[in-house]
Amino acid sequence: MHKTQTIKEKIVERYSSLVDNSEQFTNTLKKPLKQTFRINSIKGNKDEILNDMVSYDTSIKKISWCDNAFETDLTNLGSSIQHFSGQIYIQELTSMVPPLIVSDLIKEKTVLDCCAAPGSKTTQMAEIMNNEGHIIANDARHGRIKSLRGNLDRMGITNTTVTLRDFNSFPNTSADVYLVDAPCSSEGTIRKKNAVARKWKQHDYNRFSKLQKNLLKKACEMAPKGSTIIYSTCTMAPEENENVVSQILDEEDIDLKKININGLKLDNGVTNWKEEDYNKEVKKCARMWPHHNDTDAFFLARMEKC
Amino acid sequence: MLKLIEKKKKDDIIKYCLERFGLRQENLERYDWYEGSKNRIFIGPEKVKRINPESSGLCIFRLDKTPKPTTNFIQLFGEKINKNFIILNKTETVKICKGENLKKNIEFEPGFVALKYNGVSLGCAHWNGEIIKNQIPKSKFCNINFL
Repeated sequence: MHKTQTIKEKIVERYSSLVDNSEQFTNTLKKPLKQTFRINSIKGNKDEILNDMVSYDTSIKKISWCDNAFETDLTNLGSSIQHFSGQIYIQELTSMVPPLIVSDLIKEKTVLDCCAAPGSKTTQMAEIMNNEGHIIANDARHGRIKSLRGNLDRMGITNTTVTLRDFNSFPNTSADVYLVDAPCSSEGTIRKKNAVARKWKQHDYNRFSKLQKNLLKKACEMAPKGSTIIYSTCTMAPEENENVVSQILDEEDIDLKKININGLKLDNGVTNWKEEDYNKEVKKCARMWPHHNDTDAFFLARMEKC
Repeated sequence: MLKLIEKKKKDDIIKYCLERFGLRQENLERYDWYEGSKNRIFIGPEKVKRINPESSGLCIFRLDKTPKPTTNFIQLFGEKINKNFIILNKTETVKICKGENLKKNIEFEPGFVALKYNGVSLGCAHWNGEIIKNQIPKSKFCNINFL
C-alpha cells in the first residue's frame, strides 16, 4: 500500500506542470474507479438488458458522453448473468473512446487491430459494425490470445479473424482503419491496478517509446491513402505519446485530425516536454486526464494517410 | 487451418438447425462457413490473403455422429430458437452456470437443447430423457451472484 502511494506521488510530481488543476488531479488519483460496462447489442435489446440489470442493481447510471456506457457501485458484475451470457462487457470508460471516434468509419469496412488482446476495443468495434465487415485482431503474445479468443466467443463475435504475430513482421494488409492501441507503461490505470504500481519504472518510458514508434510506423507504412490510423495508450508520459506521434508526423505522409466527443472533456496534446520540442501538430492529439471526466488517464491520436 | 465447408455438410447442419431449433434459413445464410480441425464448424468473415489466422469467426458446431451445437451458437442465436429450449428458474440457472447437471420432468425428444433464463440464452445441454446434461465449456463455469 505504501509503495502504491509513493508511485502515485511520483506521478503527481511528474505531471503537475501539465495539468490545469494539480490538486484535483492529486485527489482524483487517490479515489478508486467505479466499475463501468457497455451493453452488447449483438446479444439482445439494449433497453431490455438494462432493465434486467436494474432489477438487481439500482446504482447503474448512464455515462453522459457515451450512449452505451454505464457505471455501477457494484464491484463484481463479472458474476452477473449478463456477463456470463455476453450481454455486457466490463470495460474502462477510456478504453471505449478509440472505437467511439471511428464509429462512423467502420461499418461494413475492414479494421486491423494491431494489438488487440484482451479484446475490449475489438469486441466494441464488432458490436458497432453489427458483426459485419471484417476485423483482423492481432496480438504478439500467445498467452493473451486466449483471453482475446474467450472474449470474442463470449460476445458472439463472428466478423473477426485472430492472428498471432509480432506486428513488425505482419504482412502488408489493406484496411480502412488501423487501431494501434500500443503496449505502454500503463500508468494511466494507476487508480485501478496496483500491478502498475509494482512494475512502474522510470526507464520503461524509453523502452516502450521505441516499441510504440515501430508499431505505429508499421501501421502507417501499410495503410492505403485515405485510411485512418488511431494511436492510443493508457499512459500520461509524453515520451510514449506526443513524442511517438511527432516522430511519425516527421517521417510519414500523414495528417493529424482533431478529436471531439460531445460531453467529454479532452485536453490538447503537449508540444514540449523536458526541453524537447515536438511537431506543433501534436496539439491535435487528445489527452484524457483523470480529474476531467473521473476516468483513467488516456491518450489518443487520429491520423489520416495522405 | 480453416477451409471452406463442403456444401453438403453446411446443408445438413442448416437442416438440423431448422428442424431441431426452429431457426430460419436466413438466420444462417448470411455467414461464410468454414471447417477447422477436430470437426469444428465456424461462421466468420471472408479469408484474407497471406494471413495465417489462429482462428476466424465463431465455432458454432462440432460434427460427431450427429451435429453438436456449441454454447456460442446457442447464445448467439438463442433469441431465434423457438423449439427444444428449456426455461430454467433462478436456482437451476445458478447450478447450470456452475457446471452442474439438472434433473427435470420435461417432455422433449432426446437430443441437444438450448437453456434459457428470463430471455437470456445460457448455453447448450443434452437431454437424454432423464437428465439435462450440461454442455457449457468448463472455462465458462462461474458462480452467478446477480440475476
